[in-house]
Amino acid sequence: MILILNNIVAIFRKELQGYFKSSLAYIIAGVFWLLACSLFVSEIQLWTAQKASGQMIDVPQESLKSFLAGMWWLVMLIMPSLSMGLYAEERRHRTLELLATSPITNWAVALGKLLAVWTLFFTLMVPVAVFEVLFLSRAQPPITVGIFWVGHLGIFLLAAAILSLGLFVSSLADNSILAIILTYALILVLSLLFLLGERWGEPWAAIFEQLSLVKHYVTLTQGVLDASSVILFVSYIVLGLFLTAQSIDLFRFQRH
Amino acid sequence: MIEVEHLSKVYGSTTALQDVTFEAKPGEILGLLGPNGAGKTTTMRILAGYLPATKGTARIAGYEVHEQPMAVRQRIGYLPEVPPLYPNMTVEGFLHFVGRLKGLSAGDRPQQVQWAIAQCNLIEKQKTLIHKLSKGFRQRVGIAQAIVHNPPTIILDEPTTGLDPRQIIDVRNLIKTLAEDKTVILSTHILPEVNMTCHRVAIINYGKVVATSPLADLKAQQPDQLNYELDLQGSREVIEKELKNISGVLTWKWLSPQEQTQPRQKVRVTCHPDAALGQQLAHDLVYAGIELHEMRRLGTSLEEIYLELTTQELPPQSEVEVDPTQSSDLVTSSTPTAEPQDPEWVNSTPADRGDDEVDP
Repeated sequence: MILILNNIVAIFRKELQGYFKSSLAYIIAGVFWLLACSLFVSEIQLWTAQKASGQMIDVPQESLKSFLAGMWWLVMLIMPSLSMGLYAEERRHRTLELLATSPITNWAVALGKLLAVWTLFFTLMVPVAVFEVLFLSRAQPPITVGIFWVGHLGIFLLAAAILSLGLFVSSLADNSILAIILTYALILVLSLLFLLGERWGEPWAAIFEQLSLVKHYVTLTQGVLDASSVILFVSYIVLGLFLTAQSIDLFRFQRH
Repeated sequence: MIEVEHLSKVYGSTTALQDVTFEAKPGEILGLLGPNGAGKTTTMRILAGYLPATKGTARIAGYEVHEQPMAVRQRIGYLPEVPPLYPNMTVEGFLHFVGRLKGLSAGDRPQQVQWAIAQCNLIEKQKTLIHKLSKGFRQRVGIAQAIVHNPPTIILDEPTTGLDPRQIIDVRNLIKTLAEDKTVILSTHILPEVNMTCHRVAIINYGKVVATSPLADLKAQQPDQLNYELDLQGSREVIEKELKNISGVLTWKWLSPQEQTQPRQKVRVTCHPDAALGQQLAHDLVYAGIELHEMRRLGTSLEEIYLELTTQELPPQSEVEVDPTQSSDLVTSSTPTAEPQDPEWVNSTPADRGDDEVDP
């Protein structure tokens, strides 16, 4: 057990150090901060303008909700670029052979990688959250703290689910470009499943709606801590890890 | 300790390994020798737990690779054909990472990493990023990662590929040092590698082990003749007359040109293997007034044994990696040993030159 933990920590550290040494991570961070902060400011401006036109609006509350809802697109845009190289790079450097012949399970490798890339996302989100707090701390009337916390939990869960699926795609792809394209395709399909459900009618509509990442993310951004939403995200995370471990095991025998 | 029994590997319709059996004991360096595509890498990958075998068993330090893969992985150091390196890590950082993966405790790790760095002559490069290293240094980092956790078994897939001659010597010496208390198995298609490094050899071709034995035994399997090469100064007639008089001399061949202008000439004398004629040859020739400048016994070259064993097995229409016509008889050959065409063999100097060299 201690060995497994040590292994996960080893992979985690290696990946995280790799991100901080790569210029790509800094470029991604810059783009993310620029877009996130712009989104936040533009939401405030939008709602302020609406209030100015005479409507009774709680500007900070509505701005925060819209911002959290809008973060869906940003997370979907940025996450695949973080996950694309997780396994594709290992394959490129032929280091899967090192991992496969070390006393470490595929699960531990996948989990270590996911934790590392998720931690990177966490560090990306910290300045954005500080920015939000600076704006919202003096808000009148004060914002509902629950929305802030549950909404951000939603962002982290959504990011982890997309990263986990991206990890799986990366374990299948031979190069990073292919991995990022396939990840975009996969999360787009998962996001738009509900459209297919609407077309096919019941019971597909209900099933696909429950599987939709968007629906459950929106629930959380409204400040509703729904257990089924959390379970769905966790399921996607575990599924991604499981499929990654299986694919590494399976494709090891076919790719040399 | 490596024990391989009846190992077979089938990829779809291709049989990569067929009933391979061999073993290597602690303190022993086993060379897995064979042409490219013979099944060396497949064998090593199975031993390292990277690939499962279709049939058969392979035990490392008593643990079966399929049944107890984690126990095996802790006890092996494995250098694949292409060293598995992370280009953005420093040498030291990478070895620390591998040490953690292999389960080295935080207390032992710095010491082990420094030991591996010192063993592989990487002290100057330990803070360098791996992508800035030359191929030779990368290969050494590859070896360092295989030994950093001090495993009892080391598996090296073509460890000297891409190294310059100086580095090759260093790596060979390193392997010999490591083998003092470990089992080492290395694959190569370069013959001197086996000759200079290994205690035992398993010759593998088309997925089958065609010979496995201590190197000395393998050479002794071909005792059909014994050759001496002599550098003499004197009349050819006198020399030939003396040679005719020595019973046990089967034939001889002049290696120098025919003209008599050159006072010194070389001759290769083929004797019956049971007759230890070195002393008599030297005595009789010198007694007859011929100056003997150099004399050496030519052992049977591993190259010839290898060619014989591997070419016998070739199916008639398959692509032959080495030219079988090159395995010509030593006596009639115009060159001292057969020289296959593969450029990597150019350096393959026949290293089996004998031990009773005379230089009066």
